[in-house]
Amino acid sequence: MAMNVITQEDKYAAGIFFNAALPLLKVIAESEPKYGEKFKGKSFVFQVSAITGENGEKTATHFVVEDGVWNVFVNKVHDNPDLEFIFPNLRKFVIFFSGKGMPLPKIKGISKLGIFVPILLTLLRMAGLLQAKNPPQKDFDKELLVKLYFYLLSVGISQLNKMGHPEVKAFTEPSPDRAYAYAVIGYPELQAWLRIKAGNSKAGRGEYPRCKPFLTMKFDNTVHALDILMSKGDMIEYMKEGYLIIEGAPEFGGTLGSLMMLVGYYAQGQYLK
Amino acid sequence: MAGGLTYTAVESSKLSTSEIYGKTLCELGEKNPNIVALTADLKGSTKIGDFGDKFPERIFNVGIAEQNMYGVAAGLAKCGFIPFASSFSVFASLRALDQIHTDLCYQNLDVKIIGTHGGTSFGQAGSTHHAIEDFAVIRGLVNMTLICPADGIETGLAVRAAAATPGPFYIRINRGFDQVVYNTDDYGFEVGKAVVMNEGTDITVIACGACVYQAIQAAKILDYDHKIKVRVLNMHTLKPIDKEAILKAVNDTRRIITVEDHTVIGGLGSAVAEVVVESGKACAFRRLGLQDHFSAIGLHEDLMAMYEIDANGIVKNVLDIMKQDFEVNEDWSDEV
Repeated sequence: MAMNVITQEDKYAAGIFFNAALPLLKVIAESEPKYGEKFKGKSFVFQVSAITGENGEKTATHFVVEDGVWNVFVNKVHDNPDLEFIFPNLRKFVIFFSGKGMPLPKIKGISKLGIFVPILLTLLRMAGLLQAKNPPQKDFDKELLVKLYFYLLSVGISQLNKMGHPEVKAFTEPSPDRAYAYAVIGYPELQAWLRIKAGNSKAGRGEYPRCKPFLTMKFDNTVHALDILMSKGDMIEYMKEGYLIIEGAPEFGGTLGSLMMLVGYYAQGQYLK
Repeated sequence: MAGGLTYTAVESSKLSTSEIYGKTLCELGEKNPNIVALTADLKGSTKIGDFGDKFPERIFNVGIAEQNMYGVAAGLAKCGFIPFASSFSVFASLRALDQIHTDLCYQNLDVKIIGTHGGTSFGQAGSTHHAIEDFAVIRGLVNMTLICPADGIETGLAVRAAAATPGPFYIRINRGFDQVVYNTDDYGFEVGKAVVMNEGTDITVIACGACVYQAIQAAKILDYDHKIKVRVLNMHTLKPIDKEAILKAVNDTRRIITVEDHTVIGGLGSAVAEVVVESGKACAFRRLGLQDHFSAIGLHEDLMAMYEIDANGIVKNVLDIMKQDFEVNEDWSDEV
């Protein structure tokens, strides 16, 4: 397949990276003091983009950091970022972030080392967590990785829906107003949700605020959560053992599981071969 | 024998609801000599004939004179008896309302009113014999407890609870053979506490009386055909209403349909609506029942279908309300 032919699969994968994965940089900066401190007192705009048109049109996600406080703008191009990673096309952007290769981007503002270095370190931290084959050892890292997965999966499914992925649309369009949630027992901060209603979707963080979710995938601890999220454990077996409790409508657990796998399929660049 | 009752769950399916009331009253009468029965010339229809045969000195037929029946009941209660006054619901509630209000409720007397042939269950007897306003009238009376059991088993439990609890009660039961909802009487019946018959998080259907069975069937259909998960609450006690169960339904499902064999004004739907509105939380809401008109004449099952309080009617309304938007300006952007 020629590198300059962008497929629909590339677009789905890029959408997940731009809108679901990259925003997790902010989560790391906010959750991990070691990284948060690197941005203390700093104000700048950081953008990751990929060229999508012959006239230089791009798709981008940018971060506005003001005095160390992060704001994320997905699907929005900033005209004059202080630091920008520019990929020549969506395919190379996906290859880079899925870890399938190292097609380096053009970097604008690399000389601003006070921004570049901490951003690079945070990006490497994120990649180190999300691309790991095995769960981390430290408890803090386990909790952070569960949080990242919960956010990635909920936003990832929602983004695929918004991009019109047929498998996701088939699930969301006939759906009444329902929420699907992820949680780890005893960790109130480790929660995320996905609301679906007649083809619309919204991913959110924390406890679902509107009503009891239609289905909650509830793990008994972070180790078992990571086993499932990293495809190391069998969902049915874990349910039998009580490691995973499906609260609500259990027959929908399989559907949610297959949509999670779909996000993983794109996020790991499995379609690239 | 379950829970001390003199009939079993198997036998109960062969008895009409009012026959189970009559048998329960006999059982209570054997244990408590202060229990007496009163009738306004409807001893046979209200199935308290067995009690009269067993305790002829403790049954009083006052004739077709409901007002008099409650006056006599009040006097007996003042003397330490526990009168069970039985009549058709429409007469038991409306014809002698002033006596219920002043003789029974104002004095908070220990009189139990059993209204049989409730709702439209007297079918072909016609509109004059249907009780479609009794909840509304009775619910407003101070000190009164109002129960509408789902089936025979629950009727037995309600009658026993009424006998054991001081103060006036109104228990509304149907004319004939109700569909069996409970196979056992140890499910934890408690006055003022709703029973969860089916769990679900899409919508809550709150029903009482014969409509509970219909709601359970509707929940099965909705799950099988549409994958819609319905919580069904048997709200057997309309007063005091189980606020906790209603608020949980608002919080958990945010969609509620009430189903009752009664006018939608003043009955179960209104009681639930009061709790919902006072909670200050948004909730899609619909009341199924007779929509402010007199009932037609026909078989009970046909009337229930006509007023959409049968399984099919509930299914239709659930599907409809599930499509209803009750929130504007919804934000569908993902949190990042």
